[in-house]
Amino acid sequence: MSPNPRSIYIVAKKEFADNVRNKWIVALVAIFLTLTIASSYMAGRGRVGDMELTVGVLISISSMLVPIIGIMLGYATISGEVESGALSVVLACPIRRGEVLLGKFLGLGSVMCFSILVGFGISGIVIGLTTGQAQWGSYMVFILLTMLLGLLYVSVSMCFSALLKRRVTSLVAGIVTFFWGMIIGMITMGLYMATGGSWTDMISGDTSSIPDWFWFEVFLSPQDGSGAAAMLAFGTTEILGFEFDVPWINLYSLVLAQTLWTVTPLVLAYRWFQKRDI
Amino acid sequence: MHDSSIVIETKNLTKRFKDVLAVDSLSMKVRKGEIYGFLGPNGAGKSTTIKMIMGLFHPTSGQAFINGKPVNGGAVELRRGVGFLPERISFYDNLTPIQTLNFFCELRGADKSVVPSLIKDVGLEDAANRKVGTFSKGMTQLLGIAQAMIGSPSIYVLDEPTGGLDARWVKAVREKLSALNEQGATIIFSSHILSEVQALCKRVAIIDHGRLVAEDTIENISGGLHIRPRLWIQSPSLNEKTIALIRQIEGVEDVAAKGDAVVITCDASVRLRVMNAMQDRGLVIKDFRTVEPTLEEAFVKLLSEEGGA
Repeated sequence: MSPNPRSIYIVAKKEFADNVRNKWIVALVAIFLTLTIASSYMAGRGRVGDMELTVGVLISISSMLVPIIGIMLGYATISGEVESGALSVVLACPIRRGEVLLGKFLGLGSVMCFSILVGFGISGIVIGLTTGQAQWGSYMVFILLTMLLGLLYVSVSMCFSALLKRRVTSLVAGIVTFFWGMIIGMITMGLYMATGGSWTDMISGDTSSIPDWFWFEVFLSPQDGSGAAAMLAFGTTEILGFEFDVPWINLYSLVLAQTLWTVTPLVLAYRWFQKRDI
Repeated sequence: MHDSSIVIETKNLTKRFKDVLAVDSLSMKVRKGEIYGFLGPNGAGKSTTIKMIMGLFHPTSGQAFINGKPVNGGAVELRRGVGFLPERISFYDNLTPIQTLNFFCELRGADKSVVPSLIKDVGLEDAANRKVGTFSKGMTQLLGIAQAMIGSPSIYVLDEPTGGLDARWVKAVREKLSALNEQGATIIFSSHILSEVQALCKRVAIIDHGRLVAEDTIENISGGLHIRPRLWIQSPSLNEKTIALIRQIEGVEDVAAKGDAVVITCDASVRLRVMNAMQDRGLVIKDFRTVEPTLEEAFVKLLSEEGGA
C-alpha cells in the first residue's frame, strides 16, 4: 500500500511540463525579476537599494502576488478536471488518488519554487553585485520563505479544489482565504482598540502595553507570518509595522506555522479526494 | 472461491445520490471472453454502474469485483489490465494526441512505441500534432478509444463507445471491438442503441431505474417474453380476401398487412408449409424474408412490464 514514487513523478512532470508549454513559468520568472528590481529602485530612491531595504519593499508586493499565483495554479486541479471529465481517465489507470494529489502538488509547487528561485535569485545577484553590500544568507532565507508561502497557497487552493464541486467555487474559496490573510491584521487591531488599546501608544511606538495575544495574528495570516519571518531573517522584529518583543515569535515558530498551514490542507485534500465521486 | 470464468461481477451494487436511487441493488456477471451489452434508457444508471466498476464512484452499499477482487479495496494493479472509456470523455486541451497517449502510456506503465500505431488505428494521424482542445466530439471519442487500448488490456469497460461518432466510425469501432474480442478480450459496453448491442453482443443486461430488468442472451430474453419470429412476404395479389385466406392456414398465429406485404407470425418450423399453402391458394410470392425478434421489441416489452409491475 506504499505510494509509488514513479506514479507521483509522472503526474508531477506533466504539471510542470504543462506550465512550461503554456509559458506560465516564463511569465512568472519575468514578473518576479521585474518586481524585485523595481522594488530595489524604489527602496534605493532611484538607485539600486540594498537587500534589506529591497526585501522590505518587496514583501508588501510579493505577499499579495505569491498567494494569488498559488491560488491560480491550484484551484482547478481537482474540481476543474472532474468537471471536464479528464480526471476519470487518469484515475482509471493503475494510480492511487493520493499519488495523483501529491504529484500535482509537487509539480505545481516546483513551478512556483522554480520561478521564485530564478526570478528573485537573478535579481538578488544583480543587487548584491551592484551595491556591494549583500546579506546573502538573509536573502536566501527570504527566498525560501517566499517559496513556502507559495506552496502554502497551492496547498490551500488544492484543498478547496478537492472539496468543492465546481472550479468557480474552488477559486472563490481560495480568494476568500487570501482576503482572510489580508484582513486578519486589521481585525486584530480592531479587537485591540475595542479592548482598551491606545492609538497614541501605537503611533508613538510604545508597544509595551500591547497584549501578547495581539501578536498571535502572524500565525493566523499566512502572508503576515511569512513577512514577519522574512524581516526576522534580516534582524528586524516587526509585525504590522510595530516592533514586537515576545519570545515565542521567532523564525522557527513562524516556519512551523507556515508548514502547518501547508501540510494540513494537503491532508484534508487527501481525505476529501479519497471520498469523492469522480 | 472465485469462479475464474467471471471477469466482472457486481453484488447488490447500490448508489444513492441524496434523494435519487441511481443504482438499486444491481447484481450482474460478465464472463471471460464475451462481449457483454449493458443496455438501458438514458438515466437508467448505466454510467453510474460503470463508474462504480472502475472505482470512480463509491457505492452506497454492495460491491463491484474485477477478477474476483473488490474494486474499492485500493488495489491499483487491478486496473492495469482494464481499458476504460468514460461517457463524455475529455482530455487535456493543451496536449496533442501524441502527448496525451504518451502520458497515459507512462501512467499505465506501457511502452510508448505503440502510440503512433494507436493513433493510426483510430484514424487521427492527420491530427496527431493538433491540440486536443481543437478536436470535435467524435475525434476526442476516437482518441479515447485509442487510450483504452494502451497496454493491450484483457478487459474493456466502455461507456457508450460509439456515442458522438459518425456512421463510418461507428462501423469501424464495432469492427475493432469484434477484433479485440476475437483476440481474447472481454468487453462490457453500455449503449442505448439497441441495434448496436444486437450486432455485437451475445449476452446483455438491461437496466431501468437502476434495477436489473434482465440479464441473459438476446435469444433467451426474447424467448422468455414470447416474442415470436415472423415471416415477411411480398405478394402482388394481396387483398383483404387473400389475407383472410392466409389466416386460415394451419400454424399461422397472426397476420398483419403492411403495404404490398404481410407479416405472418408463426413457428419457424411451419414457415415452409405456410408458404406452400399460400401458393396452393394461388397467391404469388414475389419476395420473402424471416424477421427475427429485435432487442427493441424485447426492450419495449420489458420496460412496459417493469412499469406496469
